[in-house]
Amino acid sequence: MNSLGNIRTRATLLVLLFALLSISFYAEAADKDNCLMCHKYRFLGRIDESGKRINYNVSENLYDHTVHRNVSCRECHPYINKIPHDPVKEQVNCANLCHLTTPFSKERFSHERIIEVYKKSAHAPQPGDSAQLKEAKPNCKFCHLNPMYTRVSEERIDYHESLNRCLNCHQEKGVTQAYKHITHRLRHKTSRSPQEIVALCAKCHQNVELMKELNVSKRGITAVETYKQSIHGKSVTLGSEVAADCISCHASNKLHDIYKKDDRRATVEKKNLNKTCSQCHARTNSWFVQVAVHPSTEREDNPIVFFVNLSLSLALYGTVFGLVGLMLLEIFGRRKGGIKFLLRNGTSWRGKPKPKEKKTK
Amino acid sequence: MSISSDTAAAGEEIAATDDYFTHVEGVGDIPRDIYKYVKSDPSGDLPRYSMHIVIQHFLVSTTFLVLAATGLALHFADVFWAPYLIALFGGADTARFVHRIAAYIMIFTSVYHIVTITAGSIQKILKNEFDYKRTQIPTPKDLFDLIHDVKYFLGIEPFRPKMEKFSYKQKLHYLAIIWGTIVLSVAGMALLFPDIIAKIFPEVMFKLRPQAPANGGFPALFQDLARLMHADEAVMALIVLAFWHLANVHIVPGRFPFQWTFLTGRITREHQIEEHFLEYIRNLEEMPEEREYMGNLLKEKQSEISQKMPVSSLQKPAEKGAVDVSTPETQEN
Repeated sequence: MNSLGNIRTRATLLVLLFALLSISFYAEAADKDNCLMCHKYRFLGRIDESGKRINYNVSENLYDHTVHRNVSCRECHPYINKIPHDPVKEQVNCANLCHLTTPFSKERFSHERIIEVYKKSAHAPQPGDSAQLKEAKPNCKFCHLNPMYTRVSEERIDYHESLNRCLNCHQEKGVTQAYKHITHRLRHKTSRSPQEIVALCAKCHQNVELMKELNVSKRGITAVETYKQSIHGKSVTLGSEVAADCISCHASNKLHDIYKKDDRRATVEKKNLNKTCSQCHARTNSWFVQVAVHPSTEREDNPIVFFVNLSLSLALYGTVFGLVGLMLLEIFGRRKGGIKFLLRNGTSWRGKPKPKEKKTK
Repeated sequence: MSISSDTAAAGEEIAATDDYFTHVEGVGDIPRDIYKYVKSDPSGDLPRYSMHIVIQHFLVSTTFLVLAATGLALHFADVFWAPYLIALFGGADTARFVHRIAAYIMIFTSVYHIVTITAGSIQKILKNEFDYKRTQIPTPKDLFDLIHDVKYFLGIEPFRPKMEKFSYKQKLHYLAIIWGTIVLSVAGMALLFPDIIAKIFPEVMFKLRPQAPANGGFPALFQDLARLMHADEAVMALIVLAFWHLANVHIVPGRFPFQWTFLTGRITREHQIEEHFLEYIRNLEEMPEEREYMGNLLKEKQSEISQKMPVSSLQKPAEKGAVDVSTPETQEN
């Protein structure tokens, strides 16, 4: 009573309360080295030797909503040891061990395992590659732009199949928020929409000049184009969520194990096709897997289809012009009977027929 | 005077070459161009389609519009209007679902149609009333009708051909619809169940060509063709319906602004006589009230017709007609 009634004690408590409230836990976790002291400024940047403008600003607000929000700066940038730091020459290595531990194994987390998968894939620089090809191949950050992840609407998650057990302890309402970093992967193989996946792959694979420089096969060069002509591609273009995108067929659940078509390990290799197609097509069979997923109607690829296509278009034009021509001839021909576009007593005959011009046979 | 004698000479020729008059017992001699003088109710005077056919036409036309809207948007996915059209149906996945439902309804309607026409034909055969000339079965006459009609349009023939209940155009269209429905259904099934359709081909075919070409074996080719045919056939159907069928039925002079036949199942008298003359003759035989109407009309218009037509060719049949339109019958009704 005495001590609480004391105005000084009250003031101290109030200040402490404010101090407690004003602590930002996220920022504290991520920015324990106080990097944002400088990097919070929006125009922190420089123009490098080649004249390229680089912005070094880190938006705290955006960063706090990314998957890496609980990882502090120096876990990925360990080469920075002092403030102000020296110009950075090293790249971020996604295989670093960070302080986060996986919930049950208590091991420090790392992306190393998936990087091992990536390193074997067609997208990783291989010893035999030319310098140009090595340069062109995508690294982690090329595809993983670390965007601010959008929330998945609750209806989109299949609670009954995937999250039922989560709901033993958690409320349905909060699940999407608490599990934001995993739930978006429960719907599809990838967190991105099929449209985004196609756009991402098309960034390089639709670049015909680049693909030609890298000596890609003809089917490889036209892969995106032919995919977009397929039923999968058309559906995805219009925003389908269920039709197959590039990753659906070209990678397993490891996502990064993309190999060339003839590679034994490739999901699109002839012997693996049955398994790959059966992800969606339950009754797949050895004949079904021969169906072209990248259909081409060009003459050299598929001559029968090319000529059928040609004759179908000829038939189309022939029919349409023939029938419409007949109709126009009919309109012209019936005019001499006195026919008009007007109605009279429920018929459109009007006036007297024109005097007929007789022709003798 | 010289003009009238000119037309008289020409008229004689018409009457001689093209049997201008058709004699119907109890009515008279009906001139080929009587349709210019008849009275017509826009909602139709004479029976043409049964209620089943009207329902089938309604189902097919509505499902076709839905199928075309969803299918076109899916086929031309990269065109600027496709996303808007697909958004009307609730996105690509929903549009695909809607497309399938509409397709099932259309296939159901086709089966319904086959059942009705088969049952109707059997009924008629049993009653000994079946006449293939009144059906959609194509006959050589249709080809001659087409040639005759084109000649008329070009001004060579004086009158349009005397056609049956279904003219050459309608038979052509009907055959095209049969072909189109079969192609679209089979190809659509191949697209919807690619895995099952690939498996229905017997293994023998695989043994005939064990070395599958680079593009895959026959099932793969079948799938490729199904994709092509489904889209091309549908686009063709849409264009033909939009620019030919609709225009022919509702837009062309004489039919403008609207024909109610597809809703009422009845055809106007004028249209029946012009394009389905032989069917009209049958109507006269079957329907006493129509006989009466035509008899009265012939009497009424006799002076007009005889003015127009040469005396020599008109005189004889007109007399006969005047006798044949028996007064008791007209008084009766």
